[in-house]
Amino acid sequence: MKEKIDAPILTGSITVPKIEENASRNQRCHHASEDHMVRLGFPGTKPVDWNKKALKRMRELLKRNRSLRLYLDICVRCGSCADKCHYFLGTGDPKNIPVARQELLRKVYKRYFTIEGKILGGLTNAEDLTEEVLDEWYTYFHQCSQCRRCSVFCPYGIDTAEISMAAREIMDSIGVGQKYCNEVLGKVYDIGNNLGMSGPALRNTLDFFEEDIKETTGVDVKFPLDVKGAEILLVSPSADFFASPHVDSLVGYAKVFHKAGISWTFSSYASEFANFGMFIGSYSIMKRVATRILDEARRLKVKRIVVGECGHAWRVGYSFWNTLIGPFDFVDTRYPVPQHICEFTLDLIKRGAIRLDKSANDEFTVTYHDSCNVARATRMGNKDGGQFEIPRALIREACNKFVEMPKNVNREKTFCCGGGGGLLTEELMDLRVKGTLPKAQALKNLMESRQVNLMVMICAVCKAHFTGVLPHYGIPMETVGGIHQLIGRAIVL
Amino acid sequence: MSEHIEVGNKKIDVDEDGFIQKWEDWSKDIADYLAKTEGVNEMSKEHWVVVNYLREYYTQYKIAPMIRLLLKETGKRLGQEKAVSNKYLYELFPSGPAKGACKIAGLPKPTGCV
Amino acid sequence: MINILVYIVGAIFILGFIYKTWIWGKSAVPLRIVGTPGPKTFPGVILRIMGEVFLFKSLFRGNKLLWLGGWIFHIAFLFIILRHLRYFFYPVPIWIIELQIVGIYAGYIILIPLVYLLLRRWVVDRNRYISTPMDYITLFLIIVIAFTGILMKEYIRVDLVDVKAFILGLLTLQPSIKPQSVLFLIHFLSVLLLIVYFPFSKLMHAGGIFFSPTRNQRDNAREIRHVNHWNNIIN
Repeated sequence: MKEKIDAPILTGSITVPKIEENASRNQRCHHASEDHMVRLGFPGTKPVDWNKKALKRMRELLKRNRSLRLYLDICVRCGSCADKCHYFLGTGDPKNIPVARQELLRKVYKRYFTIEGKILGGLTNAEDLTEEVLDEWYTYFHQCSQCRRCSVFCPYGIDTAEISMAAREIMDSIGVGQKYCNEVLGKVYDIGNNLGMSGPALRNTLDFFEEDIKETTGVDVKFPLDVKGAEILLVSPSADFFASPHVDSLVGYAKVFHKAGISWTFSSYASEFANFGMFIGSYSIMKRVATRILDEARRLKVKRIVVGECGHAWRVGYSFWNTLIGPFDFVDTRYPVPQHICEFTLDLIKRGAIRLDKSANDEFTVTYHDSCNVARATRMGNKDGGQFEIPRALIREACNKFVEMPKNVNREKTFCCGGGGGLLTEELMDLRVKGTLPKAQALKNLMESRQVNLMVMICAVCKAHFTGVLPHYGIPMETVGGIHQLIGRAIVL
Repeated sequence: MSEHIEVGNKKIDVDEDGFIQKWEDWSKDIADYLAKTEGVNEMSKEHWVVVNYLREYYTQYKIAPMIRLLLKETGKRLGQEKAVSNKYLYELFPSGPAKGACKIAGLPKPTGCV
Repeated sequence: MINILVYIVGAIFILGFIYKTWIWGKSAVPLRIVGTPGPKTFPGVILRIMGEVFLFKSLFRGNKLLWLGGWIFHIAFLFIILRHLRYFFYPVPIWIIELQIVGIYAGYIILIPLVYLLLRRWVVDRNRYISTPMDYITLFLIIVIAFTGILMKEYIRVDLVDVKAFILGLLTLQPSIKPQSVLFLIHFLSVLLLIVYFPFSKLMHAGGIFFSPTRNQRDNAREIRHVNHWNNIIN
């Protein structure tokens, strides 16, 4: 039943493969069950007239999203994006070329919604929406991590993420959903976070950290939960309560708040910053998930909302919250909503409110992985490129040895870890391993030439993905860490 | 979704990844069976310490324990002063605590960014 | 006959172009999806778009050779069009006369990027995979236009007085007789074909770039609420 993971050998340099049709055709994620679908308000199964319903949904989306229609209209297939996608570079499957991925939707758009496609037909690639096309959609729109790297190099800024989100939304509307995202969203609805961790379990977990820090440092660092009237509501991805190395950043956050002397709290109701509504392209679900945080901020009467290390959710928070669930006129308007924990911590360091002992991290030579959503869809602070500089400034404050990734895989040109966009699921392991190839090459290079032994990042998906995948390349999972993991070790309590 | 495994004479429903669907279905025989699918040839005393703790924790909290809790409690139950290391856990369960150990213990797979 | 065709093609082009941009303009942009790092101010947005329109900055990041080919192609095309304006004015303005020589050279030069753009679709496997028949046909059409143009200019001369009378006649709605050259006819009809295809095809990237949300939005989503009359769509 289990397939062997076939990890390429790392050479330290990124090369463009020859195309190999259908190379990743059998990498398909599990379908959502009827229960998962219905819980989110989607049809439980595929209706007989699914074709008509899909086209109807597509028509609605074309009206709702200028980006969708425009990007389907104006691509000239120049191929500037062709060697930019990590899944193409890793698999060689030509349908993982961004323009070819878009073309899967574009050919149906052409066929049913354009004069060009109706008259010229196959000459423009126009094609009927058949079972086979739907199957291709399901496969290849779940091989896009919506990382927007292709968009950086596109002369028109065509963003394949917009197209793959729309495609997933269309598929959900006809009962063809993906298990990983939809199951997780159901848990957010029912329990409050992606993990399905209840309030008592969360409290038990936080108690452990309080005891553990007390044991190791002798200091009473608190992890408050559901405290009304706290100054700050901290919302982090729930993986921070559960997985390694995520938990080490959680400890970092708490120590920062402790030393800063600012009252803060987690919430058991809004215990999730992640918002998979974005991955499946559903604005209404994205809004509903985000609204939990807003409601809780009101109920707890906090003055500020600070968010933890999570990439895609930072995009939702930074770029979408204000529009979706704003305005945030009930909080302290001197602070941005949401404020990133990196912005928060760096500010404290600059004001001298907390002090770091860099030597605590002397065992590490650190590099930084720019997470795709942070790099290409958000900003931090007030200055241009703050999303690059603020995390780096924190790393430099927290350790002595920092090495940059090479330019072609760094900052806005960063590669996705390989597991973003709702693909962080076991059945796609082979694809994920291959999608990590470009970043793994760069990392391998730094490990050998510069003795790098820790790659930090501010995204829960990246952390979980790299931890699972890098060992396939012979890179130990301990190489993966978070920025607040460094901060937590270096902070002088 | 109608996948199943056969252990003894019993048919047990599992999901696509081989996690058993019903908590009540679990038995030690099933654990032995699932262990083999996750690269654990023989369930040792140490394996059982982990699996039993996972089941106890799940009974109370309806979720697997957080990784550090698992490491610490395992260490304690093995009579050590300190928590066991993550690496040790991976030596016991090559496919990891979330996928391997939880599956053998009959817990659903942890979801989200883990 | 050909006179009526010209008016129909002209009408289709203008109405088609307007229709397409109108459709884009009225479709919703519910959220801020600007590609970052991006400009925070409106002048910044203008700079960014101009950088794309005139310098193809993103393409430069993506593929240097393609950038060179694409840029030379577009610039040459621009000068060729400007040069052709001499057939549309009487008397011909000085600045068009001054462009004449550049325009002639552009007519030759454009063949180089055109052949390159065609060949690269054939030669590189991934480009071949992503190319549709219309991609080749469009390039081929432009090659025909350029080639017949050069032939007429240098080798098989066409009576330019006729051509000019014909064009001015069309412009002043007093159609005169079309020039009697087959070469001219091929050249002219190919141009009409390209123009009529324009609003329905990828050639609309010329207008589309200005509408692209990842390029024309400001990076200020957290500071300023992106309110528009489409927000109810999200609810």
